[in-house]
Amino acid sequence: MFELSVAMKHIRVKKRQTILAVGAVGLAVAITIVSRSLMNGSMESFFSIFFELAPHILVTPKEGEEYIYLYKTLMETIWAIPGVIAVSPTLATTATLAYEDNVDNVALQGVISVELNKVTKLGDEYMVAGDLYAIQNGRRVVLGQKIVDKLDVKLGENVRATFPDAKPLTLVVVGIFDTGVAEWDESVFVSLDTARDFMDEGDVISSINIHLEDPYQADAVASEISALGYEAKSWRTMFPDFQEAIDIETFSNNLILILVMVIATFGIANAMNMLVLEKTKEIGMLMAMGANRSSIRRIFLFESGILGLMGGIFGCALGYLVSVYLHSQEYTVTAPTAPQPIVIQFLVDPWDLLAFTLIALVLSVAAGVYPAHNASQLDPVVALRG
Amino acid sequence: MSNIIEIKNLRKIYEDGVEVVALDGMDLIIEEGEFLAIVGPSGSGKSTLLNMIGLLDTPTSGEIWLKEKNITKIDPKERARLRNRELGFVFQYHHLLPEFSAVENVMMPLLIAGVDKKEARERSITFLEEMGLGDRLGNRPTQLSGGQNQRVAVARALANHPSIVIGDELTGNLDSKSSDMVYDLLRELNREMNQTFILVTHDMKMAEKTDRILRLVDGRIVCEMLREGDGFVTRDLCELEEDHT
Repeated sequence: MFELSVAMKHIRVKKRQTILAVGAVGLAVAITIVSRSLMNGSMESFFSIFFELAPHILVTPKEGEEYIYLYKTLMETIWAIPGVIAVSPTLATTATLAYEDNVDNVALQGVISVELNKVTKLGDEYMVAGDLYAIQNGRRVVLGQKIVDKLDVKLGENVRATFPDAKPLTLVVVGIFDTGVAEWDESVFVSLDTARDFMDEGDVISSINIHLEDPYQADAVASEISALGYEAKSWRTMFPDFQEAIDIETFSNNLILILVMVIATFGIANAMNMLVLEKTKEIGMLMAMGANRSSIRRIFLFESGILGLMGGIFGCALGYLVSVYLHSQEYTVTAPTAPQPIVIQFLVDPWDLLAFTLIALVLSVAAGVYPAHNASQLDPVVALRG
Repeated sequence: MSNIIEIKNLRKIYEDGVEVVALDGMDLIIEEGEFLAIVGPSGSGKSTLLNMIGLLDTPTSGEIWLKEKNITKIDPKERARLRNRELGFVFQYHHLLPEFSAVENVMMPLLIAGVDKKEARERSITFLEEMGLGDRLGNRPTQLSGGQNQRVAVARALANHPSIVIGDELTGNLDSKSSDMVYDLLRELNREMNQTFILVTHDMKMAEKTDRILRLVDGRIVCEMLREGDGFVTRDLCELEEDHT
């Protein structure tokens, strides 16, 4: 394979040109890797923040039924599905809460606080006073911040819950949470037993929230549960705009990155063009020595391919190191809805390293096609004259 | 002796705005093992003829036979293969690949022919040693003198044991000492290996060291001289015009 040794020789001897071409591609790949790692990291943060309050899957009663009756069996079935990491049953109703002269209508939800916290992080991340877990012990309630504001109630005081057809209850305020999301901050949580007492219902629930290890498995798991006759919706079905926004963002970002790489490979095309011009006589001599047109073409394709591959590998290494460094710096941003600053993550997907090395290789070979073709079409007599 | 090259009514016309007749119906037979010089003024068609024999260019009409095979219209791939196996080229400028060392340059036609790298290296080293360049194997063209480079180029042309070695003003850039050295080398190889040498030259002194001199004017052979002992005899087709050289 003399073509390869000629190509390698050019690369080794023409150091400046090699450094420039490899540098341009490498930089583009590095930018791509860092940008993608930021994208992955942001997506990860976004997902985890988003799903701190939203379930991956919401299961509601069978068609025509008011409640999920055999919920313990159903929950066991759900737990048996691989990838399920949290299952939280809820019995929800509407209630009127009263404190002194203040009255407010709220969404009252009976939950198991440990399970709720696994699905929503409510107990860990959003409590501003008291304790979510305290609702498990008797007639106790945690309130959203908005309700606290309306009722003007404090921790440890009693509120009264009433509703037509419901059994009035007096509840002790044991916790206050603030999520920044209006829908949530207008809810109150009690234990499942308290909710059943209030509603005067048996051992039933109205919905189940599920969290999965991989949110992208939601559709598959949801359809598995739907097969049992229950209504199961994945987050994709519940929030269709969310996925669309992610897709558009990802697409436009990837498009820009590919364009950056295409521009960088112009550097290789340029270097190859210069090389063909500079090497005209030598190409003529190689032809005189018996190198045929496809051999000449191969020399320059190999060369651009190798430069691209070197650029890809260099860029991946650089991009990876920069990403790891930036990740270690734990830069933060604050968002109005987030109770704590969000740490910016840079997560390198190993597949990206492989994919963008290959993309750099393919684009570089493509960049070499035209100069290589020109070289192969030289007339040896004219080429030897120079 | 068998005919290694047979040229029949060969014409080459360049049409680049004006029509230029470079070869005007030439007939020529070259026998195996000949040591031949082609002389003539600039533009007489010497290099064109050489390019035809060297399979670098194609004629407008006429035929070229190499070893009793018509090669006038063979496809480019076969042409390249024949250049590699049957022909060796040495040009006025050595045209060595500047990034490669002397031995790597000599190896190149062997590698193109698909010879194993190790064997190619060994054979190339032998050639360079014969050329008196055994201590210059790893030097690049920029690290060698003009004469040394031209000897590397000769070694490269001979590396694949071609049947025909073509030299286009191969000593044109050398001083007389280097030029004699290269000439003696070729002569020796011609006698030892029975290789055919076709040399285009401006230099009559060089031409007179060969066995047969063809003089071209306006794309035709106007004079042919054959060695007889230390001198030359002209054939009857010789039209002795004034020299434009």
